[in-house]
Amino acid sequence: MEISTCSGAISLTKELENESAKVYQELAQKFEKDKDLFLAFAKENGKFYSQVERAYYGVITDALEGCFAFNLNSEDYQFKKILPKDISLSNAVAEALKMEEVMLRFCQTAAEQSKHLMADVPRAFTLVAKKRNERIFKLKELIEKTK
Amino acid sequence: MAILEEPVKGVKEVKNYVNGEWVDSKGKIVDVVNPATGKVIGKCPISTKEEIDAAVAAAKAAYPEWRRTTPLARSRYLFRFRQLLEENFEELSRIQTMEHGKCIDESRGETRRGIENVEVACGTPTLMQGYYSEDIASGIDEWVIPTPLGVFGIIGPFNFPFMIPLWSAPYALATGNTVVIKPSSEVPLSQTSIAELAEEAGFPPGVYNVVNGGRTVVNGMLEHKDIVGITFVGSTPTGRDVIYKKCGETGKRVIAQCGAKNFIVIMPDCNVKATIPAMMTSFFGNAGQRCLSGANLLIVGDDDKFYKNFLDQVVEMTSKIKVGYGLDERVQMGPVRDKDKKANILQYIESGIKEGAKLILDGRKPKIVGDYPDTCFLNPTIFENVSPTMKIGAEEIFGPVMSVMRAKNLDQAIEICNANPFGNGDAIFTQSGRDARYFLYNAESGNVGINIGIVAPMAFFPFSGMKDSFYGVLHTQGKEAVRFFTESKVVIQRWF
Repeated sequence: MEISTCSGAISLTKELENESAKVYQELAQKFEKDKDLFLAFAKENGKFYSQVERAYYGVITDALEGCFAFNLNSEDYQFKKILPKDISLSNAVAEALKMEEVMLRFCQTAAEQSKHLMADVPRAFTLVAKKRNERIFKLKELIEKTK
Repeated sequence: MAILEEPVKGVKEVKNYVNGEWVDSKGKIVDVVNPATGKVIGKCPISTKEEIDAAVAAAKAAYPEWRRTTPLARSRYLFRFRQLLEENFEELSRIQTMEHGKCIDESRGETRRGIENVEVACGTPTLMQGYYSEDIASGIDEWVIPTPLGVFGIIGPFNFPFMIPLWSAPYALATGNTVVIKPSSEVPLSQTSIAELAEEAGFPPGVYNVVNGGRTVVNGMLEHKDIVGITFVGSTPTGRDVIYKKCGETGKRVIAQCGAKNFIVIMPDCNVKATIPAMMTSFFGNAGQRCLSGANLLIVGDDDKFYKNFLDQVVEMTSKIKVGYGLDERVQMGPVRDKDKKANILQYIESGIKEGAKLILDGRKPKIVGDYPDTCFLNPTIFENVSPTMKIGAEEIFGPVMSVMRAKNLDQAIEICNANPFGNGDAIFTQSGRDARYFLYNAESGNVGINIGIVAPMAFFPFSGMKDSFYGVLHTQGKEAVRFFTESKVVIQRWF
C-alpha cells in the first residue's frame, strides 16, 4: 500500500514495531538462554514507536506538507512474522537480523523523506535507526556465539 | 493503516455553555452533517437574542472577580486547560475531521496550533507587564498598567472550527477579560468539546461562555453595550460591511480577519522538487478552504520550457491526490464543507471556462477513495491562461481550484499581486535572496512566504492581513492579542 500522509507513516511505524516486537517475544519463549535480550528488544520497540509518535504529535502542522510528506510503500518493508517451530537459535537470530535490516531501511527512508518538513520527526526516525544499528551489531555477535 | 474510529457516536445535541451551565436553546435546531459521509452527527441550536443577552450578562457579572484573580492564577487555569486539550488531542482532531471534512493530519495540525496559542497565553504574567519611567520631571514618575476591559465576543468561521477561536480566547482570558464565543453553526462540535474541557479546567462560571447560532447572535454581540470588543474571522463582505462598521458605530475594539486571494509566485530558479509538494498543500490542503490557501499560481519569466515542465509536474502530482474521508489515512484531500459551497465552487469553474481560461485538470466529477456520497466532494481543478481580471483570477473561490498565470518578470508579478484588493498571504518560491527580499519588501500582503506555501504565523506572531483581508489595527495571536485585550492605563505620580 502506498503511503503519502504523515498519519499513514506513523501508523505504519506502529504496525512494524508491534510486529517486530511479537517476533522477539516469540524468540524469548523459544530460547530461554537469550530471553532477556529478546524481551528487552521487544520492550524497546514500544519505546521506538512512542518516540516517533511523540515527535509527530508535537510538531504536526497543516501549514507544511503533512499530507504529501511521504512516498512509502508498506510492501517494501515486509519480514517473516512467524518462524518455524523447530527453528534453531542461529537461524532464528539470522531472521531477526534480516528483520532489523528491513526496519533500519524503513527508519532511514522515513527520516530522509520527512527531513525538510518537521525537524523532530526525522530526528526521531534517525535516533531509532541508530539504535537499530546497535541492535544489528548485537544480533551479529549472537550469531557468532551460536556458531 | 485504517480508517480511524469516529469519536462522535450517534447525534450530539449541542447546547450553549453559559455561566458554567449547559443550557438548551429555545431557538430552532439545525443539523450538523459530516460532509464526507452525509450523516447527521449533531443538532445545533440557533440561539435567540435573549440567550446571547443572558450570556453577556453572565460574562459581565463574572468579570470583576476574574479581573481580580491574579495573572499568575489565571495562567494556572490556562495551564490546566492546556493539559486537558493535550490529553484529548486525538479525539479533538477526529471531531474536526468529522464535522469539517479535513484530513486527519490537517486536523491534528489545527489542534496543535490551537494548543500553541494556549501555551503562549500562559506567559501572560510576563506578556502583560507594563513599563515605568522614573523622574519624568523632578520627583515625578510615570508608568503604564495594561488592564483588562470586560466582555469580548469571539466569532468563529467554519473552516477552522477548533483553532480560530483559540487565536483570541486564551489571551482574552489570561489578561483578565471574560468571553462569549459563537462558533459557526455548521461546525459547533469542536467548540462544544473545548467548552467541556474549559469547564473541567475549572474556569469560574461566566468567564467562558459559548452561544451557538447565526446572525441573531452576531447582531446581539455587535449591538450589546456590555461587549467591549469583537474578534471575527470570516468573509470580507461580513467582516468589512457588518462587523467592522458596526463595531465602529458602537465604539468596540475589533479584529476582523477576512477573505483572501493569495498569489504564489514561482521564479525560474526555484527548487522544483521541493516546490511541487508545497503547491499541493498550499492550493489543495483543507480542500482550498483556508484564507491562506494558494489561489493564483503566477509563474515568472518567458522560459516556455521551464513553464511547461513546472506545470506538467504540478498537474501530474495534483492528479494523483487521493480524495476521500479525512479519517482514512490514505486520503490527502477531504470534501468541501457542504453542498452549497461545492455548488459555489462549481459556478466559479463554469465562469472560468466561459471567460476563456483553459481547463487542464477537471475536478468536477470526483473520484473518491472509499464508498461515500459525492455530495460535497470535488477533485482538484487547474486552469491555465487565467488573467487577473477573470472571476477565477480575482475573487476568492474557497475551494480546490488553482488558477495559473504568467508574468514577464518579478516586477510585473508583484504588480499583478498588488493589484488584487486582498492582501492576506502571498509567497515567492526562489533560490535568490535578492529576489526574495525584493518581493518581501514590495508585496502588499500581511503574511509573506519565502518558499512556504501556507504562510500561517506561529502563535507567538500576529496573524496579519492587509487591504480587504483585514479590518482593524491589532491582530490575533501573541503580543498583539495581549495588547488588543488590554487598555493602557497611564499613571503619573508625584508625592508632596
